[in-house]
Order: sequence, then C-alpha cells, then structure tokens
Amino acid sequence: MKQVQGFIKKYKGIIPVFFLMLLSAGLMATLQKTENAYGLDTKIDSGKKIYEERCLICHGAEGDGKGLVGVIRRSEKSGRIMEIYPRDFVKAVFKFRTTSTGCMPTDEDLLRTIENGISRSFMPSTKEILSAAEREAVKEFIKTLSEWWEEEEPCEPIKVKKLEWVGSFSSVEKGKQLYEKMKCWECHGHEGKGDGPKAEDLKDDQGHKVLPFDFTTGALKRGSSPENVYITFTTGLDGTAMPSYEDTLEEEDRWHLVSYTLKLMQLKGRDE
Amino acid sequence: MYRKFYVSMSLISGLIFLAFMLLTGFRELSPEWKKYQNEYKELLIKNAKDEATKKKAKSLDVKIQQIYLSSLKRIDRCTSCHIGVENPLMANAEIVYKQHSGDYLKDHPLDKFGCTICHNGQGRATNLKEAHGAGRDTHWDYPIMPLKYVQSSCAQCHEFEMLKQNRGEIVAAGEKLFREKGCKGCHKLNGIGGILGKALGGIGSQPIAYFPMKYVKDEQTPYSWHKQHFDDPRNIVPESEMKIDIKDKESDLLTTYTLTLRSDEIPQQYRRIWQSPRSREAAMDGEALYKMYCIACHTSGKYSIYDDIFKRTIPAIMNPAFLKSIDDKFLKKIIEEGRSETQMTAWKADAAGLSDEKINKILQYITRDRPAEKSEPFILSRFNQNIKNGEKLYEVRCQMCHGPKGEGGEKILGISLVNPVVQKEADPEFLAITVRDGRQGTPMVAFGSKGLGLENQDIVNIVAYVRTLSSKK
Repeated sequence: MKQVQGFIKKYKGIIPVFFLMLLSAGLMATLQKTENAYGLDTKIDSGKKIYEERCLICHGAEGDGKGLVGVIRRSEKSGRIMEIYPRDFVKAVFKFRTTSTGCMPTDEDLLRTIENGISRSFMPSTKEILSAAEREAVKEFIKTLSEWWEEEEPCEPIKVKKLEWVGSFSSVEKGKQLYEKMKCWECHGHEGKGDGPKAEDLKDDQGHKVLPFDFTTGALKRGSSPENVYITFTTGLDGTAMPSYEDTLEEEDRWHLVSYTLKLMQLKGRDE
Repeated sequence: MYRKFYVSMSLISGLIFLAFMLLTGFRELSPEWKKYQNEYKELLIKNAKDEATKKKAKSLDVKIQQIYLSSLKRIDRCTSCHIGVENPLMANAEIVYKQHSGDYLKDHPLDKFGCTICHNGQGRATNLKEAHGAGRDTHWDYPIMPLKYVQSSCAQCHEFEMLKQNRGEIVAAGEKLFREKGCKGCHKLNGIGGILGKALGGIGSQPIAYFPMKYVKDEQTPYSWHKQHFDDPRNIVPESEMKIDIKDKESDLLTTYTLTLRSDEIPQQYRRIWQSPRSREAAMDGEALYKMYCIACHTSGKYSIYDDIFKRTIPAIMNPAFLKSIDDKFLKKIIEEGRSETQMTAWKADAAGLSDEKINKILQYITRDRPAEKSEPFILSRFNQNIKNGEKLYEVRCQMCHGPKGEGGEKILGISLVNPVVQKEADPEFLAITVRDGRQGTPMVAFGSKGLGLENQDIVNIVAYVRTLSSKK
C-alpha cells in the first residue's frame, strides 16, 4: 500500500494526463463509429445540423412548424386556394402513418416522408440529396423535438393486403353506396370534388382552415396507389377532419371505398 | 308467270308512291302555324266582350305572317305561330300566343325590328323545329337564344351605361364581370389583350360548328357551350388552361356578355352607341386597368400562389417587400416585355397592345403602397465572389424550392431562376437584396441577418452562382 501511495506521489503530475488520454481514446472510438458526411460525433447532432440547414426554414427552430416560410398557398385547378402549413413536430400529430389513429407513427413512416417528400405540399424529396444514414439522423433528431416520443408506446403497423376484387365493377358500386351511407359526401361532395356542404367549415387541430380532398385532381398527397388510399381510410389523417374508419367499417368495406374513390380520381371530373 | 310478278310489283310501288304524295300534300295543307292561328282565333272569339271585337276576330285571316326587314336583311315569319305577341289581351295566355313580356316592343316595333335580331333562330322557317333550330339534327348556325341570355342582343345597339339603368341589367352586370375578372389578361378584344387564350372578337356570332361540342351536356348550342365552359372550362375543353373564379349565377352573366361580342354590325340607323370600346378603355384608371388585364392571375397581388394550372408560382407583385426593392424602370420593363418562358405576356403597344399611358397607369396602381424607405443597399463591389462556395450553399439552401438547376416550374415552389429576366435584366444588386431581405409574406424568406443569418459574403456567393445557372442545362 505504501508502495502504491509512493508511486502516486512520485508521478502525481502524470495521472490527469493519463486519464485524459483514456478519455480521448474512448472519444475517438465513438467518433469512428458514427462518423458521417457531416463529421459530427453523434447521430442526433448530425441530424440537428441537417435539420437546421434544410428543415428549419419551414418547420422552425423549435420544430413547432412556425418557420420563416410560414404558410404556402396553392391554387388548384378548380380555383380554390389551399393554405399549407408545415408539420408541428412538438405536438407530434402526424397524418401519414401506418398505425392506428391516436398512435405515433413508426420510424419507417417518418423515414418514408423524409425520403419521398410530399410534392403536393412542396415538402421536398431527399432521395438524391441525403444518404440513408443522414435521413436516419434527421429522423432521430425530429424524435427529440417532442416528449410524446418517450411517453407513447409504439403501436404495431397495420398490415395492408390488397384484395383481389378491388376496382371491379361491383366493388365500385358497393363503394359508391358506402360513400353515400357513410356521409363522405358531406365534406368531399357527391362528385368527389371536395365541395360538400360541410367543406367550408373544416378546421385542423391548429385551427387552420382545411379543405377536403378533391378526388378529381387525381393525386393523393401520400400517393394514389390502392394501398395508400386504403391506409388513409384505416388510419385517418390525425389532426385533420378526416377520421379513421378502422373501427366503423369492415376491412372489405374499406376496400370497396378504395375502388370507388379510385374511380373518382380517374374520372378527372367528367363522366364518360 | 314473270309477267304477273312484275305487274303486281309495279302496282304496289305505285300505291306506296301515291300514299307518300297524299301524305305530303296533306302536311302542306295543315302546317303547324295554321293550327296555332286557328286556336288563337278561337281564343279571341271566346274572350271577346262585345259583338264588334267578336266580329273582328271572326274575320281574322289565317295565313303566313311575315315581317320583311330590308335594311337588316331578314325575313321573320315567327309571328305565324307567335301571333299574339303584340296583343295586350294575351298577357296571360299560353306561351305560343302570349304577349311579349316587358315593354320592349313599345320602342322596338315589330315591323322595324322583327324577332330574330334579338332572339336568333331561323326567321324564314315555318315550323317549330326549324325555326328554333335547337335539336341535334337541325344544323342551323344560330339556334334560338334562351331567354336568360337574350339581353346580349341589346348591346348591339345600346351602351352598357344606359343598359345598366334601363332593362339591360343582366348584360350590364356581365360586362362589369368581364372587366373586373381580368378576362383580357389572356383574351384579345378590340385589338388589345393577352395571347394565352383565344381572341374574343366575333365569338358571340360564331356558328355552332365553331364550338367543340363533345362534352357539352343537354342542348348542344353555343349558349350551352359558353355556360358550361364558364362553369368548369376543363369539363368542356380538357386541356384548357383557363383560370376562372366565379360563383353560381355569374356564369350566366358572363355568357350573356360573351354573346354580345358579334362580328356583324347593325346598320347605323339602329345603333345608339356613341362611344367606342377603345375610347371607353382610354378613360379607365389604373385600378380598372389592373382588374381588366392582371387580376385573373395576380389576384390581390399580396400573396404569391403556386398555380396548378400554370404549373408555376405566380409572384406577389404588390407585396411591399417586393416594391421596396424593385424600381419603376425594371418593373415597367417586365410589364412591357413580359417574362418569356412563363405565362407573363409582353404588354407593350406592338405586342399585347397596351399603350404607354395605360402601362404607366397600371404601374402607378401596383406601386401605390410602396414603403417610403428604400432597401438598404448591398454594394456588391465590396465583395469577392466565390462561385464554388455559392454552389454548395445553393444545394443546401435554395434548391429545395427553386429546383436543382434553378429551373422552377411544375411542383417547384420557387420561381425559375434561369429565366432571362432574372439572368440578364435583373441587377445583381437587386438579386442580392432579395436573398438578404427575402419577400415578406411569400415563402421567400430573408437569408441575411434579419432571417436565417447567412453572412453577406455567403449571399454574394449564392448570387454569383445563380447567375451562372443559365449556362447549365
């Protein structure tokens, strides 16, 4: 013991240097592990840097959707003007999920939107701009913007399997009846032009006016494949006036509705 | 044996021929108008209050009625069926015999004006189908005009100012809409107007064959075409780029106005128009001219709006931040020369036809809210340019709105940066100020110290890079 004490006493000056060396070695190791194009030490930090350069302009420094760009206006062919607001990552209510209404989206859901963008809303695609690792980092950073990500248990994504008869004549007919019965027309209009009697009074969670989708424009924000339409009916668009029909309609009925609304989208406003 | 067959065949065909001859003769002897005139006669006799009128009614001669109008070059036989149009006793009668509504006939006597000059249709015809010319198989150029549009005919002889006060409210309202919805921004009329749409001169007297009727519902007449085209242009002409922002009844009003735009001029002795459309327009102020030529695309000018029809963003030209940074000379040049590769038309006198005076009026109107204080100058010459660094910054900061090559266009929020006006006409100083201060109220944010906090040197580099974009294709 005495020998050790003597040793410490003798080399007192070296000890901090030794510890510093140990620390930096450890740091180097972590650095090498997560180093990326942005050359930052952790995933979240590089995500933050990308966010600040590319996302903050719309989504805001706090992620509350109150960036400098503010509202974007888009005039549709029918002349109605859509007012588009960026997503609020603090409230963390997401429209494009594969999870049930009320659930947080899965990581894949977030990544999908980051990668593909939402061209109808001018959310740019990052396919050719960011690497997969960079997108992952941005996603991780976005998840630090709201405490909901810690509080909520993730839900299982809903499985989508397109049924064979989707798009058939009889399915379209059944979908049409459901469209009337479920009062889709109250917002979306009898011809699917988004001009139903309630269309003018719709608000989203932030109190912004929202306009129901005009099927005759033919392009859904998240993509217009039957699967995308189906998942929209099933999950609803949380934060907007579009409810989930997971509990109120049988799976088959939801697919009938898909058939009918796909027909509406192809019609482009004309009956031929 | 064969003989017997031929004899019977010729006998049968002879009989069929005879039957047709008789049928034709019978139809000639009992035309539609005769039936109506007889009924009218009975009606008169039945309603006669004293012997004298009854006697007069009984002596009514049933014959084709005809109004010959030499200076209008028309012969109208409409009164052969509509025989009661001038008879006040027929005010509540059935439509065929009914007296003409309103007091239009008082100052437009039938023997001077006839019917078709206002109502269209075929004056010489003596049955309903041919006279009204509406059915698909009649092929007349000008079918009868639905009553709700008939005021369009008033404008052939009368001024809108007068019509507004006096029995022409519908057509006057239509003309006001035409003036205020910016129709001439795309359509040429009387030698002035944009070039994106069809010229409108004579559109009101174009025959049926002029209009593509494929998607027109119900009666396929020019009137239905106009009405349904105003309701939704792309329902009738799928590839149409027409912008229109009207409600419910307004399409009827605009249809009525459109039908006034006829090429055939009414003889001088009928006309009560003293002011030519051109001199009317010369008296307009800046606001009226803005509405006439600019408003369809630029709306209030306060917001920039991405437009799904034009597939590009229409800039906010009355935004204070914009007016602050742009001088009149540059703005006027854009109005005069237009923005090539976009829908912005060249408006100078020898292009779309606006006189220098009118352009100045519009310019004055657009810039009326220009803030007093000018943008802080940038003084580009104080900096060195680093295009390479600008490219890097552009990739991160600009391309998500303006496109990887600055090309703008479909699904791209920012305006095109490769446009010749941006590349050649715009002062680099102006571009640098725009990047630094942004356009408040539009998605173009301030990238300088008031916004995202880029250094002035960075902004210089970005502008330098942007100015190389036109050479990259």
